[in-house]
Amino acid sequence: MSSLQVNNISKSYQLDNKELNVLNDISISLDSGDFLTILGPSGCGKSTLIRCICGMETPDSGEILIDGKPIDGIGPERLMVFQDFNQLFPWKTVEENIVFPLKLNNVSNNKVELNEIAEEFMDIVNLKQFRNAYPNQLSGGMRQRVAIARSLALNPKVLLMDEPFGALDAQTRAILQKELYQLWEKFKTTIIFITHNVQEAIILGSKIIVLGLMPATVKFETTNTIPYPRMPETKEFMSLWKELYGHLETKRF
Amino acid sequence: MTDKVNGEKNKSRLTKISFLLALFLIWEFVPVWTNSAKIIPPFHKVMVAFWTNLWHGDLLQHVAYSLQLIFTGILIGMILAFVLTALCIVSKRFNDIMDVVISIMHPLPGIALLPVVMLIVGLGAKSIIIIIVHSILWPLIVNALAGFNSIPKIQIELGKNLGMKGVKLIWLVMIPNAFPYILSGIKISWARSWRALVSAEMVFGASGMVGGLGWYIYKTRFFMDVSGMFAGLISVIIIGMLVDEFVLKSIEKNTVKKWGMSV
Repeated sequence: MSSLQVNNISKSYQLDNKELNVLNDISISLDSGDFLTILGPSGCGKSTLIRCICGMETPDSGEILIDGKPIDGIGPERLMVFQDFNQLFPWKTVEENIVFPLKLNNVSNNKVELNEIAEEFMDIVNLKQFRNAYPNQLSGGMRQRVAIARSLALNPKVLLMDEPFGALDAQTRAILQKELYQLWEKFKTTIIFITHNVQEAIILGSKIIVLGLMPATVKFETTNTIPYPRMPETKEFMSLWKELYGHLETKRF
Repeated sequence: MTDKVNGEKNKSRLTKISFLLALFLIWEFVPVWTNSAKIIPPFHKVMVAFWTNLWHGDLLQHVAYSLQLIFTGILIGMILAFVLTALCIVSKRFNDIMDVVISIMHPLPGIALLPVVMLIVGLGAKSIIIIIVHSILWPLIVNALAGFNSIPKIQIELGKNLGMKGVKLIWLVMIPNAFPYILSGIKISWARSWRALVSAEMVFGASGMVGGLGWYIYKTRFFMDVSGMFAGLISVIIIGMLVDEFVLKSIEKNTVKKWGMSV
């Protein structure tokens, strides 16, 4: 858990000889243990933003600091949980998918200790009885749980989540939102969570940012103090929803 | 659920076995009825010839020699394919060159190369091995490269995110991801190596002291030992089936099928 500073980053792509400005002068400041949800219309560049923070892409200008130090490429201190269900290694079981990155990053070389960590995190995401299952035997929701468990077990400085529940059905989504919130309360990991779902942003975030359409700029920023559990039918939830929705531009075709 | 699956498995096995039995019955009686037993000996005669030639004749020697050539060829082919594919992955320029080499060599039947190979290395086991290597090398490389090119981008990003790069990334993420294609290349190679061996031997005869199965089939035809000829064919089929069933299929079942990664 660490603080994160994104200072004035911009990025453009070359598309058919035209310059496409995706991110424009974006600044974000997070304290250690913040849970930031970033809302933005589809195609606004929120994925590009989180990929820059992860180090998969490099911004054209600006800087990204973790605990005051500039990030150095892609690495396990900033772990990404993707939307794609294919983010586990298909040839490894649930347990192996969690243990393997731990071994790789020398979290421990002691087999017993590694298994204990895996055990703990499989338990946290309720997948203990599936420890020997392969990813293709799991549902989408279970796979996303494994991905979250794997990431948390590595204890990243910042956990990045790019619409991880976007491809799930509504019920599973609600369950996973609750689980994720509880995990965050327990581990106090600094999280950045991308979504285009206003309700999801309110349920999860302790801070919420709304991005505008291409190029993405920070249009609105707020702190979410609604006590947990955050029920959509409460007054404060509804008024925040309305406010956020008002800032959310949608593309007109 | 499992009962249903097992039931289906048994049914499928039963169908296959019944079909084979029917085939053997037809083979047994039709040649006699049609008075063509001289050209196609009845099944039991072929089996007797197979059995006696195997244990009392020289069939076993031919089989052993064939297997020796094939496994040497496959081993060399795989090592070469591994090295060349690795170079293709590491160097884009090398990949460009390989593209050209593959489009020249891949469509070229091994047997067509035989006269050239004979001129250069002469008659013998060496030239047969070269033909086998040629027959399997290109499909192995083509399949492996297809495998590496079809790795989902997210798997690479994930590997890097978890802290892998270079050789580690290739070994621990890219090769397992490409494995279904690599395995299908190996399956193709197995079939191809037999074709290469048998046809090469039929064209230029025994290599070495005994010669392999191709030479055996050629020899028995020459002496009008029709049952022996069929016994040679049966040996090729049996070895092919055994390896396919007990080696290749079991690898497939315990890897790509289990992981849900079939191509």
